[in-house]
Amino acid sequence: MSQPINAEELTVGKKAAIRLTVNGKSYELEIEPSRRLVDVLRCDLDLTGTKISCGVGRCGACMVLLDGKPFNSCLTMAYQCEGMRIETIEGIENKEITNAFLEEGALQCGYCTPGMVISLQGELEKNSHPTEEELKECLTGNICRCTGYGGIQRVLKRLEEERRKQ
Amino acid sequence: MLLNSHTTTHPWKVRPDGLEKVTGQLKYLTDMKTEGCLYGKIKRSGLPHARLIEVDTSKAEALPGVHAVLTSKDIPGLNGFGIADPNQPVFCEDLIRFEGDAVAAIAAESPETAEEAASLIRIKTEPLPVISSPEEALQKNAPRLHKEGNTLHTTSYKRGETEHVLKECSIVVEDSYDTPRQMHVFMETEGGLFVPEKDGSLTVFAPTQHGYKDRMQLARILGWSEAQIRIVSSPIGGSFGGKDELNVQPYGALLAVMTGRAVKIHYSREESVRAGIKRHPMKIHMKTGADKNGRILAHEVSIISDTGAYATLGGPVLNFATEHAIGGYDIPHVEVNGKAVYTNNGISGEFRGFGGNQVIFALEGQMDRIAEKLNVDPWSIRRKNLRQVHDYGPLGQRIVPNDGPRQVWKAIQQSPLWKKPSRERDREEPWIVKGRGAALAMHGSGLGYGIPDPSGGRLQLSESGKIEAAFGFEECGQGLISSMEIMLTEAFKCSTEDTKITIGDTALVPSSGSTTASRATNMVWKALQNMKQPFKEKLYRAASALTGESKENMQTGRGGIWKKGQKEETFVCSYKDLAGGEIVSETEFHFPVTPDAVTGGHYLYGSTAVVVEVEVNRLTGSVRVTGADHAVSAGKVINPIGYLGQIEGGSIMALGFTLSEDAIMKNGSYETPNMDTYLVPTIRDVPDTQRVDAVEELAEGDNYGPRGVGEIGSVALAPAIIQAVHAATGVRISSLPLQAEELVDERELLALMSEETREEQTG
Repeated sequence: MSQPINAEELTVGKKAAIRLTVNGKSYELEIEPSRRLVDVLRCDLDLTGTKISCGVGRCGACMVLLDGKPFNSCLTMAYQCEGMRIETIEGIENKEITNAFLEEGALQCGYCTPGMVISLQGELEKNSHPTEEELKECLTGNICRCTGYGGIQRVLKRLEEERRKQ
Repeated sequence: MLLNSHTTTHPWKVRPDGLEKVTGQLKYLTDMKTEGCLYGKIKRSGLPHARLIEVDTSKAEALPGVHAVLTSKDIPGLNGFGIADPNQPVFCEDLIRFEGDAVAAIAAESPETAEEAASLIRIKTEPLPVISSPEEALQKNAPRLHKEGNTLHTTSYKRGETEHVLKECSIVVEDSYDTPRQMHVFMETEGGLFVPEKDGSLTVFAPTQHGYKDRMQLARILGWSEAQIRIVSSPIGGSFGGKDELNVQPYGALLAVMTGRAVKIHYSREESVRAGIKRHPMKIHMKTGADKNGRILAHEVSIISDTGAYATLGGPVLNFATEHAIGGYDIPHVEVNGKAVYTNNGISGEFRGFGGNQVIFALEGQMDRIAEKLNVDPWSIRRKNLRQVHDYGPLGQRIVPNDGPRQVWKAIQQSPLWKKPSRERDREEPWIVKGRGAALAMHGSGLGYGIPDPSGGRLQLSESGKIEAAFGFEECGQGLISSMEIMLTEAFKCSTEDTKITIGDTALVPSSGSTTASRATNMVWKALQNMKQPFKEKLYRAASALTGESKENMQTGRGGIWKKGQKEETFVCSYKDLAGGEIVSETEFHFPVTPDAVTGGHYLYGSTAVVVEVEVNRLTGSVRVTGADHAVSAGKVINPIGYLGQIEGGSIMALGFTLSEDAIMKNGSYETPNMDTYLVPTIRDVPDTQRVDAVEELAEGDNYGPRGVGEIGSVALAPAIIQAVHAATGVRISSLPLQAEELVDERELLALMSEETREEQTG
């Protein structure tokens, strides 16, 4: 976090200028600093690839990368992101992951999928040769209700194998 | 056929809607908004049972930014909705029956203002005693929740003389089974966008499993004709039965019509939990008797389901449970009595498996108890009692010849899990014991006898020269678009580029019935059977008129019409060449039903058998399912990746039902309002792989095509897990979800350890 914000500025209803960098693009928004990042993304910036489901940081549907690390955007406030690099699913282009999801049948309704992709992207950015176990670990905060994780586990196997061969 | 990318001969096809979903590009209906739209919010009672005296909206109306505050007085048409019985009020008038009851709705310029306005609405109430269980509701002096009383529906089925025969049986097993109030937990909560159009009509963008039914219900509420309403209903971020009933639609529609502005609503998870429907909790009592050889002679069942405050599909769910409490077994003497009872609890309704899951847990539990009592293999007991191919259905109704139960009974034994010992203790960690168990089920598809279940579809050559299939079904995530594309390209031997799939929009598609009851794939197949020849004829006629070729020598193929019967096939004309003419075929038909007047009785069934391996930690009581393999008989596999995904997904949903999921209610209020307290399985809670074996052969005389498998993966897992737990621990569980406390047993471990210590000392 770039600079501390004092409590007064976090008062509900009081707006402040917040600068965010999302998918490489800078935004200056006049919003409440305590506004949830998920709402900023979905409502203010119309980046609806980030989904909202539980709103309490349990399901992972709203996962985004903050400086490369996966965070639940429902638990992140706008002011906490000032000066940070935010990447949403719209800013991720990773055919390795997306092709694996498509070809292994790892999505059905697809509502959890962007969050899953983000979590995996975060893991692969810090860990170029992850084990299947490590990949699984990084998805424990992402709930999928459709697939039963069968297809997703096939994705993890495949990612691990492909990376090992490299 | 084993379903995986390596063994299947069928195309392992990437779903057409996949790329947009995986890249976050797809706009779900709850992602939509329009410039300047208003935001809707529903004010709920927060009380489980009370007389409603007054709703004071004055402060909310006075709040700047509020455009409308509606109550029951503002409903132009019927103040009620419900698929089977519209007895749920849009807004309460004088009685509050559950905490999610709506009393008012607001449209405001921002979600925050709408929220604030809701908090300013005051309701004057007089609390009434809370009926928090069906037993309380059935007491004589219990307050009446509806004018007909507290019983929504009863079922009774009887053949033979159970009472007398049970006395003669060599063994009788008797137990009571409890099942939880499971939540759908679709990842996308309910919501949508409601747009008043310039011509006075209304467009509704809100997920549902049955667009036409929503349209009918909304027309009734608004006092409009159905033609004034267009429902756009897909894509859906998960439903599992939970969005078949209206949810946000009445409020969004009324607010949009009253304000003349577009209105967006999207529930928070907490609101979704409190307002939405759940799986019926059921208490099932079974008494089953057999002779000394394990032949079951008599089976007595009573079922009580907690249907909550309103009817929705509580009646049909109970009908389904009644039928499936008998299952794919041939039992001469049977009596089943069921009651669906109103309470002040959250509403129960439709959920994947539709009441089958609950009673199959009990029925299969009985099988295992009989086997234990007779000291024989539980799988052989089942074999002895399974229906034969030409036997009648569970309720004595005629059904299509069906050998599914025997097929899956046999097929599941190919699973590598089957060959493992039924009990093993871990050498390194002796407090961990493994166990294996299995169960099977026969599951009806379609709505059953006595319920209108029409279907249909349309083929047309689109303006751009594509073969367009239009159906009133919805894409809930199950992969219907994929399956339709496969069936369409097979029917015309054309490529996917030649096809166009149109679903989920009443302005564009014919009515096809509901996307429920594992019926959509089957109904699309049937419709294509009806339409493909007439449609081809029309194409050939047009091609003949255009080119002068004889239509007898034509066949459809990639890109257009080809000459047939020659070694070198020659191209006659492209589909595009034929575009612009009226080339359309339509069909309407009814889902196949039994000729016997047995309400709710099914005609077509799928079957499944499941084998499960569990690891039980005797120190903590925790249970891990380490393997769950399935054999499924549902006819030809159309879309292997979709079929596999449905079984895997249904299976893990059932794993949650068995081990962790329960929407607990206390005094009519949810104690588990979000996913931090209501625990659904994560990737850590599931087996690494699940083997799915599709038995494709249908019995002779079954020309009814491929069945859907949306539900069948979820119906037999619970009893298999519970039997595996029993094999591991000797503990018989009758109540779901399983409570770890029941499995903690340090004595066994202490004995084992002291034995080791002794060995060490003496050794």
